Amino acid sequence: MNIHTYEKIWLIGALALIVGFIATVTYGAAGAGVAMVDASGGTIDANAVTDDEDFGEPRVEQVGENEYDVYVIAQQFIFRPDTIVVPANSTVTFHVTSIDVIHGFQVVGTNVNTMVVPGQVAEITVEFDEPKEYGILCNEYCGQGHHDMEGKLNVVPEDEYGGESE
Amino acid sequence: MSADNDTKELGHEEFDPIGTLVLIGIYFLILVGMWIFTYFIEFLGNGPTVIG
Amino acid sequence: MSAELEGEELFLDRFPKEARIVRASLWSAFIALGIGGLGGLIQALHRTNYLRFIESADYYTVLTLHGVLLAISFTIFFLVGLFTWAVTRSLDRPVEDIRFTWAWYLTMVAGTALAGIAILGGFVDSIPISADVLFTFYAPLQAHPMFYAGLAVFIIGTWMAGLDWFRSWWNWRAENPNERIPLQTFMVLMTMLMWYISTIGVAISVLVFLLPWSLGLIEQVNPLLTRTLFWYFGHPVVYFWLMPAYLLWYTVMPSISGGRLFSDPLARVVFVLFLLLSTPVGIHHQYLDPGIAEGFKFIAMTNTMFLLLPSLLTAFTVVASMEHGARQNGGEGYLSWLGALPWRDPAFTGMALAGLMFAAGGFSGMVNAGMNINYLIHNSLWVPGHFHLTVGTAVALTFMAGTYWILPQLTRRRVYSRTIALFQVILWFIGMTLMSNAMHRAGLIGMPRRTAEPQYDGFAFDAGFSTVAELDFQIAIGGTLLFISLVLFLGNVIVSLFEGPMETSVDASLSDPLSGPEDSPKVLDNLWLWTAIAVVLVVLAYSLPIAAIVSDGGLFGPGTGTYPAWLLGVIP
Repeated sequence: MNIHTYEKIWLIGALALIVGFIATVTYGAAGAGVAMVDASGGTIDANAVTDDEDFGEPRVEQVGENEYDVYVIAQQFIFRPDTIVVPANSTVTFHVTSIDVIHGFQVVGTNVNTMVVPGQVAEITVEFDEPKEYGILCNEYCGQGHHDMEGKLNVVPEDEYGGESE
Repeated sequence: MSADNDTKELGHEEFDPIGTLVLIGIYFLILVGMWIFTYFIEFLGNGPTVIG
Repeated sequence: MSAELEGEELFLDRFPKEARIVRASLWSAFIALGIGGLGGLIQALHRTNYLRFIESADYYTVLTLHGVLLAISFTIFFLVGLFTWAVTRSLDRPVEDIRFTWAWYLTMVAGTALAGIAILGGFVDSIPISADVLFTFYAPLQAHPMFYAGLAVFIIGTWMAGLDWFRSWWNWRAENPNERIPLQTFMVLMTMLMWYISTIGVAISVLVFLLPWSLGLIEQVNPLLTRTLFWYFGHPVVYFWLMPAYLLWYTVMPSISGGRLFSDPLARVVFVLFLLLSTPVGIHHQYLDPGIAEGFKFIAMTNTMFLLLPSLLTAFTVVASMEHGARQNGGEGYLSWLGALPWRDPAFTGMALAGLMFAAGGFSGMVNAGMNINYLIHNSLWVPGHFHLTVGTAVALTFMAGTYWILPQLTRRRVYSRTIALFQVILWFIGMTLMSNAMHRAGLIGMPRRTAEPQYDGFAFDAGFSTVAELDFQIAIGGTLLFISLVLFLGNVIVSLFEGPMETSVDASLSDPLSGPEDSPKVLDNLWLWTAIAVVLVVLAYSLPIAAIVSDGGLFGPGTGTYPAWLLGVIP
């Protein structure tokens, strides 16, 4: 097959771009340590979430020196807890599930962003260094009140943190 | 199509798409620059990020 | 070899019955475009808070209408019209049985009507029919069964259309045993093979799960499973939109540019790559889904990145073909040859601007394809920013430009106003530049897509060097310009039909490629080989993830109940 030299040059350039994109993303994973949401959160009976030992009471729970677990329920049209408080310099694992339809859980202005699927638990770990107040929004259409669905994430200075979860 | 004084016929052997190579080279550079910016500054600079 | 129409015989004179079908298909496409486009204007003004005359709850009904009418009805009715023209023309033979052709067209119309009625029911509270589920219809949100039935019927109509074109090709081949498949027919057949493979996923989701569930025959569905089956289809559908545009860029645009297609073999290679790679990538729409392992997402990413290749190759071949036309017309230099192109021709300018915009849309698509960078933009306004460049411009604007070119051959009328046509395509480009650029930037600061009122009580978006007000303004203005452009397009086409018939004919001949099919390896025409490889790739990409989803959660659960979207949410 006769390919013009210039198009061959471009073919090599295009393949270099493709490989470069894959390599960058791989660097992000292996180098910068970015991890994808996956199946590690497990499944859950979406009809019995309130009986679950963890999700029965959505809250922040300290599980280590600077480690916290946050159990979040997304539902039409709120997050529970609607205000999440954690201290700065902490490693926080969010466990998020839904009791009705598919939602999104996004900490606005950050890369903390996950789908929330009923029957699945989305488990994501994030390090919060600086104190800051963030908004949380639902970014997956979930019904008529979707645009009202919001929450707060307050990363407070360590000395102000009193173990309160809402 | 239109009968123009400059209209001529270029056969397969006579045509080298140098203009295309120039344009696509510019596009290549734009893509590389935009990708580096978007990945390393917009994305990695938009922390905190999911690490586990 | 491309068969050229003799002398000045118009398509509608040589193939009058086929021309009727093509016109009918295009009319259906334009009706969908008009209604869907009006929805777009309403949305652009509503979410930016410039003009809210509907309830925000109804915004989602409008959005469903916009997505379904534009991304399903408009695009696919145009495709079936264009492909009927292309197959008939390139094989130089009428369809095998015109009644079958009308049957598939009417099936598609019936499907659209059913789904459309279900969606429109959402505006009337007293009628318990609605489909406020958006173009992606994720369970457990539930639509009225008519919605799912309508979509299924529509898809079946498209399957029949493919069979129609395959029949034409089989019969042509029996009479022309040693000839290469004419390029346009090759493109049609490859597109349809991709379509058959890709619609399996959504057909299973709708017919096995969602439709019975909406009829109350089954209690629950597995939301992750049905969502995965949707996206199995949801990525290749974008190539179903793109490949007709590529057909125009490869086989018509060179002639409009005054030149010849740079390479027929490379065009075939590109379509083979689309058949192979369009489907085993759908999980890149699910990078942030729980329940799917990172390894499967990485495989989807690699496949997706290689799927960039046929589009990148297309950029070269199409621009080289344009350059050939420019240089034949006296163009010189490294860049000044661009001036020797027929910029006064709205068909040319529309397609050229569409291609230029596609180059930008390609970049935001590359970002979308990157597995972890997806955290930055998933479900944000960046995503519609991206696809308004691709389907919204590369495809839609090319279709409009192509309409201007093909209109005389189908109707024996000239386009009413060349000036308005040229103005309209440029206006589309400007409007989309404003709207899409603002959508991309809004997405980067976290503004969500698919949201009637993206203004929140507890926090504000930080727009960096700009302001949210500036972004909203651009979206509103851009959307308005687009709507004006759309009205001008439809008006121009409609008024053309009231003109008297042309007195002199048009030159609708298509030039021969510089490098023709005789230069391309015969294996490229081996449709079954490529289909087999495509199927293997799909099985490799999807069998393990789907097996994991089913084994973790069950075929019919763990779901919740059903969420007819017309019920208000429950707040404890």
